[in-house]
Amino acid sequence: MLTRRQTLAAGIGAGALLAGARPSAAQASEIVIGGSIPLTGVFAFAGVGVNDGIADYVKIVNDAGGIAGRKVRYIPEDTGYKVDQSVAVFNKITGSNPVNLYYGDSTGFAKTINPELNRKNSILMAGASFATELNDPKSFPNQFMAGPDYSEMIGILLQYIAKTQPGARLALVNSDTEFGRDPVAATEALAGKLNLKIVEKIVTPPGSVDVSTEVLKLRRANPDFTIFHGYVLAPLPEFINQAKQLGLKTKFMGTFWSMDNSLWAKIGEPADGFMGIMPYRYYYDADGKSPMLDKIRQMRPEYQSTAYTQGFLTTMLFLEATKRAIEAKVDLTGANLKAALNSIKDFDTGGLIGVPITISGNTIPVGRVYKFDASKKLMLPDSDWIRVSKAG
Amino acid sequence: MRIGALKESYAADQALFDTAFQRQMLALGALALIAFPFLANEYWLYLACLVSIHVIATTGLNILTGYTGLVSLGHAAFMGVGAYVVALAELKLGSPFLLNLLLAGAATAAIGMVVGIPSLRVRGLYLAIATIAASFILHFVFQNWTSVTGGVRGLSIPPASFFGRALDQPSELYWVVIPIMILMVLAAANLFRTRIGRAFIAIRDRDISAEVLGVPLLRYKLMSFGLSSFYAGVAGGLWVYFFRVVTPESFPIVYSIFFLAAVIVGGMGTILGGILGAVFMTMVPEALKLIVGLLSPWLPNAVAILSPVRTVVFGGLIIGFLIFEPHGLAEIWRRIRRFFHLWPFKN
Repeated sequence: MLTRRQTLAAGIGAGALLAGARPSAAQASEIVIGGSIPLTGVFAFAGVGVNDGIADYVKIVNDAGGIAGRKVRYIPEDTGYKVDQSVAVFNKITGSNPVNLYYGDSTGFAKTINPELNRKNSILMAGASFATELNDPKSFPNQFMAGPDYSEMIGILLQYIAKTQPGARLALVNSDTEFGRDPVAATEALAGKLNLKIVEKIVTPPGSVDVSTEVLKLRRANPDFTIFHGYVLAPLPEFINQAKQLGLKTKFMGTFWSMDNSLWAKIGEPADGFMGIMPYRYYYDADGKSPMLDKIRQMRPEYQSTAYTQGFLTTMLFLEATKRAIEAKVDLTGANLKAALNSIKDFDTGGLIGVPITISGNTIPVGRVYKFDASKKLMLPDSDWIRVSKAG
Repeated sequence: MRIGALKESYAADQALFDTAFQRQMLALGALALIAFPFLANEYWLYLACLVSIHVIATTGLNILTGYTGLVSLGHAAFMGVGAYVVALAELKLGSPFLLNLLLAGAATAAIGMVVGIPSLRVRGLYLAIATIAASFILHFVFQNWTSVTGGVRGLSIPPASFFGRALDQPSELYWVVIPIMILMVLAAANLFRTRIGRAFIAIRDRDISAEVLGVPLLRYKLMSFGLSSFYAGVAGGLWVYFFRVVTPESFPIVYSIFFLAAVIVGGMGTILGGILGAVFMTMVPEALKLIVGLLSPWLPNAVAILSPVRTVVFGGLIIGFLIFEPHGLAEIWRRIRRFFHLWPFKN
């Protein structure tokens, strides 16, 4: 049997061996993507998908020889979806690696780290937040989002409504969070312009709550469409169930984070007809040509969430901007990377988005409406791709 | 082995650090803190600042919960008050940051005393619920008093400035946060050598007896709430200078639970316990992350696979501490000291 001293010596020896054998850190020619990723906590359902999406696109690029011969390295770390942790992770990763690109996990983090991004001017950042506030290239010059902001998402829904049912009556249901309240003002302004009438505004706590009184409010207001924002899933199924039991004819709609197919497939029949805005094609979409989706399906035969596509597309745009900056023979500063990103015009995402995209500011203001078909357990397209301007 | 500590006066007997060895260690610790920014990178300096802010807040809660026996789950909301006061003072008045921190402490102390009023009638779980209710009210105010607090978007502030120099990096804020933390911890340690501190302990041990002995309960309980909230206010103020943005979601109720856990894991009713608890609660998740990071070159996707395991291990560690050392980390530290005092003898 080993003595305590022998065990200690063996431990130290193994540690030294481990440290010595550790593969080398980032090389100067590498392009480094850092990530504050919520792999645990309330947003873990998305974080895991985002992480896989980024890792897969990096693998595709590296297998094809990298960006102008430079390999891409992805360094993620878990944040638990807490801002202080996200900042700690940012400091840790950027402190020991020459990071060019960064994925952030929340609006809070994006706002907190923004002064540091501006000061460093060496990193282009995107992330899980679609907050309207971030869609301001003056205040957030080194950030962007791989889709429309929340106000633009609602703008797409309102355009769809105005086209399919002019003069429709709307109810807005928002969670009592920064996320939930984000697009309310923009929605009210745009609804007025499109001649749509907001007949009820409901604010609830996020997560699972008793919604019976709110459903009664909906019954009194009798809207044609009810738009949820600021939730992932709960309490949407409760809302929809109770409303159907009361015989309400209103059509329910949601925004990006509540639109993953696997969420609604589990709800099944009661979710039939639920609609919402989706900036990307779903994993299983077969309409049109999408070689990138084919590749994803080849790499991962099982369903991948919309968060996966978000991480995948964000990385595609990160590396497209990097490629353009390298081709333009400019330093990979934050400003140059952002300028390269903003040079993206009519860009083909390999079918992840059904139309060519242009990024003139901080967003990609395009998306389409999908509707859940309970018999097929699939979100299916219900509109063509809709573009909006910043004002809607 | 320590043979004995000779004390020649009452002052020496009451000294916070009563042996030459302790004082030497303290000097060494101070030197280490001064040298740290020159040796560490931004990540470690960031963590040092964050730990220090948590130490201040935990010490504040320890005064209330550990020493006075009044449970509070509103500590994070009090920090929020401090953060908003500093943000508003910075944006509207442009006053010096040290003054802003004092303002934050004072304003939070005032609110803390109001919240503490029910403590005269209710204790234990009932008081915990009352403080949770206060926390909800404060969050409601943060969220809905839009003209002052900026509503759900909150307030973003410029960095603190010291003689025209912007303190926008952890390496610069370190020189502010660490001295304030040391001052506040020393003040708390001293508090319990005074009548006020001893009155708090008397209330914790048996409030009726304390009143019989001439300790006015209302005054001292409110004072405890006020002092505890002052610490929370200053911690919140430093927090907002550190992160430079405050929203209603910055100080959720789980943050209060975090501080209560730090007090319990560290050891209730000891200053050292508050420090060790805050360090443990902040640094153990980071240490576990480092272990996960070390494995990543060999285990592809280690971060994704092991992150949930990490949180389970962290939870397990806390439960383990509560079972095997209910007096907290401070007691483990005391045991280690005793071992060296008696060394080479075992008992």
